[in-house]
Amino acid sequence: MEQKTNATWVVYLTFVVAFLLAIVPFPEWALNYRPQWVSMVLIYWAMALPYRFGIGFAWVAGLLLDILDGSLLGLNALALAVIAYITLSLHQRLRMFSSLQQSGVVLAMTGLYLMMTHWMKIAANQAVTSDLFFLLGALSSAFLWPWLFVLLRQMRRGFSVR
Amino acid sequence: MSLEYRIAAFVVLSLAVMFADIRFDYLDRVRFALGFLTAPIFWVADTPARVSYWIDDVFVSHSDLIAENQSLREELLFARRELQLLAGLASENHRLRALQEASASVEGRILTAEIINISSDPGSRRVLINRGAQHGVEAGQALLDAYGLMGQVVEVLPFTSWVMLITDSRHGTPVQVNRSGERAIARGSRGEIPEIELEYVPDTSDIVVGDLLVSSGLGQRFPKDYPVAEVTSVVHDPGQPFSIIRARPLAQMDRTRHVMLLELPVKEAEVAPVNGSVPDWIEVTQAQEPEAGVMTDPATAVDAGQAVPLQDAAVEPVAGDTPADPAAAQGATAESTPAEDMPLPSELADIVPEAPAGQD
Repeated sequence: MEQKTNATWVVYLTFVVAFLLAIVPFPEWALNYRPQWVSMVLIYWAMALPYRFGIGFAWVAGLLLDILDGSLLGLNALALAVIAYITLSLHQRLRMFSSLQQSGVVLAMTGLYLMMTHWMKIAANQAVTSDLFFLLGALSSAFLWPWLFVLLRQMRRGFSVR
Repeated sequence: MSLEYRIAAFVVLSLAVMFADIRFDYLDRVRFALGFLTAPIFWVADTPARVSYWIDDVFVSHSDLIAENQSLREELLFARRELQLLAGLASENHRLRALQEASASVEGRILTAEIINISSDPGSRRVLINRGAQHGVEAGQALLDAYGLMGQVVEVLPFTSWVMLITDSRHGTPVQVNRSGERAIARGSRGEIPEIELEYVPDTSDIVVGDLLVSSGLGQRFPKDYPVAEVTSVVHDPGQPFSIIRARPLAQMDRTRHVMLLELPVKEAEVAPVNGSVPDWIEVTQAQEPEAGVMTDPATAVDAGQAVPLQDAAVEPVAGDTPADPAAAQGATAESTPAEDMPLPSELADIVPEAPAGQD
């Protein structure tokens, strides 16, 4: 009964920080390398607390990201919901993985996320670029994942989020 | 098993939302409401830039201030001199226009704004400015800086607005070659370099490197004769039906933070009372346009032009029939900028006197 408060605000705080990092201005040459912070934070929480943060949560987060990006409403929402679905169906295995294996999965998932948003933008006439440099964001995300994972795990244990 | 159903439901929901957002405009209200939630995030994200500007302002040495003051004074003197010339040109242009019974093209109010964010999407070139519906911004308004046209407002949120730059590949700007009067559509380039390309220009057209492109005002969006870009390369490829012409935008897209929003020209009558209550708007028009032929002394015109735009923003709306020609309005624009701590446009002074010549 003493665990009545389960520190949900920590999760919201990490998402707010992820949103901030997602829109902080980058120099032109580094735009393609921007790590997908929101996807990574979402993957972590969906993996650690699959019964608390699911597809609906991811969808709402994606909707907010759409507003922040000024992109089509529902575009990031759809992509993040798919990411959440994959994470939820893999979460038992993901927890057993070493951090290198997890990075590989994050690489695939953020790559899929970038690809999906790119396809949708092209379908909706919101983008015309045809090169694949935008996938570099997945690489930087996978590179940062081990550190982010440790950080978020410390936060989850320290604040006993459950 | 329920996981599959749920993801399917959300995918369908997302597709429906996207479809509705493309096709209909009732989701704009949702966007607008969510804008209240996201405004603080933008505010926090902009904090480092604001702090660095503040530090630049506060921790500046006395001698630097004196030097800056000196150079600003010189620029002001220079701009004043140009304005004297302008006034003469303005009256002459006004007389000619009166002869032709052509209507005036640029006037209205401007609103100063600051760029607080740039789009994180590498495929588009958009910026976020710190003015929104609360300040009377509307979609379609032109964004200028002191050197040239920057873009137009595409989405208005409560406290911020998204502006599509003219270098975005989905943006077309109707332009005119200042020297020859040739018209073209300038489209943002698809490449990595932020520049614009002229589309469907025949090989026989009279455009050379160094030509100044000004907005032609044909789209009814942008002010007429505002500088847009300078032609940097002209390639006549015998295998292509049209020449390949690239131009460099004159606006300082990636260097400036201070910009100006121009009021929509068409809706002036309806918008005026609303904006009258919003104190941020600055009048940019020639105060009292003298009768054609009366104004022979440029100095008086300059005095009249100086006094009014700087006074206050809440003066009543411009009478719709006050004719002001573009050159004079630009002069007034240039003049009102020091009040808002903006850099004096030294390039503008070079450009403006040529403007009337281009449209004759």
